[in-house]
Amino acid sequence: MSANLSEVRQLVRNQKYSAGFITDIEAEKVPPGLSEDVIRLISAKKLEPEWLLEFRLKAYRRWLTMSEPKWAQVQFPQIDYQAISYYSQPKSHLDGPRSLDDVDPKLLETYKKLGIPLKEQEMLAGVQNVAIDVVFDSVSVATTFKKKLAEAGVIFCPLSEAVRERPDLVQKYLGSVVPFADNFYAALNTAVFTEGSFVYIPKGVRCPMELSTYFRINERNTGQFERTLIIAEEGSYVSYLEGCTAPQRDENQLHAAVVELVALDDAQIKYSTVQNWYPGDEQGRGGIYNFVTKRGDCRGARSKISWTQVETGSAITWKYPSCILRGDDSVGEFYSVALTNHKQQADTGTKMIHVGKNTRSTIVSKGISAGRGQQSYRGLVRVLEGAENARNHTQCDSLLIGDQCGAHTFPYTEVRNPSARLEHEATTSKIAEDQLYYCRARGISEEDAVSMIVNGFCKEVFKELPMEFAVEAQKLLQVSLEGAVG
Amino acid sequence: MKLQPYRAAFDQFASSLPANERLVRDAHLQRFLSLGFPSKREEDWRYTDLAALSEKSFGLAIPAGNEADFKRIDGTERLVFVDGRLDSARSTAAQFCAEIPATESPATDGVLALNAAFSSAGLDLKLAAKQQLEQPLHVLFLSSAGADRATSMSHQRHRIVLGENACATVIVEFARESGSDSLATHTFDIQLGANAQLTLHRLQHESAATTLLTRIDASLGRDARFNALCLDAGGGFVRHDFNVSLDAPGTNAELHGLFAPLPKSHIDNHTRIVHAAPHGRSREHFRGIVGERTKAIFSGKVVVQPGAQKTDSEQRIANLLLSKRAEVNAKPDLEIYADDVKCAHGATVGQLDDTALAYLRSRGIDAATAKSLLLRAFAIEILDHVNFVPLRRHIEALLNFPDDPQLDALIEAVS
Repeated sequence: MSANLSEVRQLVRNQKYSAGFITDIEAEKVPPGLSEDVIRLISAKKLEPEWLLEFRLKAYRRWLTMSEPKWAQVQFPQIDYQAISYYSQPKSHLDGPRSLDDVDPKLLETYKKLGIPLKEQEMLAGVQNVAIDVVFDSVSVATTFKKKLAEAGVIFCPLSEAVRERPDLVQKYLGSVVPFADNFYAALNTAVFTEGSFVYIPKGVRCPMELSTYFRINERNTGQFERTLIIAEEGSYVSYLEGCTAPQRDENQLHAAVVELVALDDAQIKYSTVQNWYPGDEQGRGGIYNFVTKRGDCRGARSKISWTQVETGSAITWKYPSCILRGDDSVGEFYSVALTNHKQQADTGTKMIHVGKNTRSTIVSKGISAGRGQQSYRGLVRVLEGAENARNHTQCDSLLIGDQCGAHTFPYTEVRNPSARLEHEATTSKIAEDQLYYCRARGISEEDAVSMIVNGFCKEVFKELPMEFAVEAQKLLQVSLEGAVG
Repeated sequence: MKLQPYRAAFDQFASSLPANERLVRDAHLQRFLSLGFPSKREEDWRYTDLAALSEKSFGLAIPAGNEADFKRIDGTERLVFVDGRLDSARSTAAQFCAEIPATESPATDGVLALNAAFSSAGLDLKLAAKQQLEQPLHVLFLSSAGADRATSMSHQRHRIVLGENACATVIVEFARESGSDSLATHTFDIQLGANAQLTLHRLQHESAATTLLTRIDASLGRDARFNALCLDAGGGFVRHDFNVSLDAPGTNAELHGLFAPLPKSHIDNHTRIVHAAPHGRSREHFRGIVGERTKAIFSGKVVVQPGAQKTDSEQRIANLLLSKRAEVNAKPDLEIYADDVKCAHGATVGQLDDTALAYLRSRGIDAATAKSLLLRAFAIEILDHVNFVPLRRHIEALLNFPDDPQLDALIEAVS
């Protein structure tokens, strides 16, 4: 960490820590548990200004009064929030595998199928010394990109750096889309977030490249509580790719991230996610609880926010990327493919809140449920009184593979303006026997046939993804579906 | 305590009851007092807030003697209830009225518990195997006429049990005209034996001051057919729960509804269709015409349980939102736990087609008539499910749609 020890001690002393914590700081670790002291410590370690600490504490105090949402169609044992360490690296380098020989062969097989180069495989598996090379390579890569971005005036940096460099922007926009007490997990995130990205696109700038967390390799060990803030000024454009682009072994842990997007007049933000956290094994042991709050605010007239997500990982996904269509003529889009296999559970969807006039939104959601997976689409389209001529089209289709899985749809439609036009359509079916038979008759194996049909089913969403992501997403689906047939 | 008036009303009501029955009902009342009315925080009651009911003090309704009039439907037998009590003078099928003993198992929600505590005699239609009801049975729920009556409530339990191959048509009509606040709850327990067939029409055209909470629970036996049509053309604060369970293979359930409530009303249709056995078929189609200051809710759920393979289910909801300060909430849910199924659902919200209006106007039809023609066209998809002609006429009159002679005259004038 960049904070040096004496500084931290000084801060801690000022804020009246119990003695126990000081030793802990020396070890650069915080014992599991959450309290105001822990939050002060996180804030102190990151050398945060007073207002940010207050913001965190405010969220924490509210969080204490909140209870976990129970409405989602997912089941999991009670999470012990005091057993989580809120400030530590998710994985110690010393505990990591020393060469690829130590890595779970099953995992390597998956990498191979995804066509990930060997070096990258090693990095993703967390193999120690090789990873350093890669980091080395990428740092130089990252810096060239950074130069190019700086020329355009784009700020793309860790959130903690932005707090130091551009406190004005952070203070203005942080928590303005997802309020500190928005929901249980968002409040928790606000209290303890440790890392994340900050993107600022100045007026009239079209970001010269697609931004991806991948380039920020030094931020690889992002914590469980990421916080992302993207601001697109008037007339700007940015495409942001988020992702765990390959399976990453991890312990069974909670990820409670918050993503906030702000689009001003005529600005466009395209946010793509390929999420493939460790889904747990066939028996449902382990895996990530992915409880994420993502929201975009189309604050300006004619602005546009587009969410595209491919969700194949995580034991449990609880995620509703939303758009608040505040500006007149603003547009919100949501394209999603979610796959649940084995014992995965996903409750995902979107919210489109039409506030401004002539606002439009499109929702396309494709759910694939296999094995004993349970999947729900949960969406809300709300048209407020002033939203003249609002328009929404929602389509959500589910594909069932196997008789042990479930697919559910919970679409909420709330309309308060008589000029609104909304359509919602949903179908659920299994892969048709005749389609399978046709492929089999032409010598295509059953597994390949299923994969082809599934890809066809998802095509509408994949075409929204940037090229490399689309290819990868297809392969991911193929891998994730393995063992679902026959 | 807020619910104290209900306790007081119960003490008065129960004083004349035999001790053992009082005990059973008292348990239900206790349950109601501890549960209270469902709150908006409960998912099933998200859009319908009953909080106001806890604040009011209702006394049990006492028939005042001045009888409200009603429209008879030709070719039907009648069962008339006024303020929750049988009006035997105007009923022609009084044999179908009986008190249905409350179950001893505790109710799952406050409204059910309230109903169980106070329930009075209601429709009890039992048909043995192969028995058929000769004429449709028209069950009417009225209130005594006259405005200045104290806030009153009535609670009734009903039962329809059809044996194997039995067949019946029942029309249930809620038509209370209450000048002051009134509350009524009704629960219907419906059981259809193998191959039985029931057609049920539920009509509601109550006045603005009424609160009506109904609940129908139907269970279908093998190859049974259940056709239901729900019409809401009244005012007031209305919530209907409609639960259909396709418990045996080969059943067919059709649930259609039209709501065109009066201004300033609240109408909540809450349906749940459970496919619990294979080869079930369900069709659900609701249409709503929502005007001034009205809040309309349609919340429909279709559940396909594990093992209910070859289920074929379709659910459609279409809304016309005609006014500012009106609100439509639609929520067609699907919960599917079997793979060899065909399930679809759709929801729309829109307006009358301006071009269609313009076309009619250009043929010399005035705006009001043109609008009413288009509304009729919108509604007809639901009304076409009514095969019993006198009832169809009755419904069209309730909705103030142009009738056939008027239509003929229009067609003649235009052509």
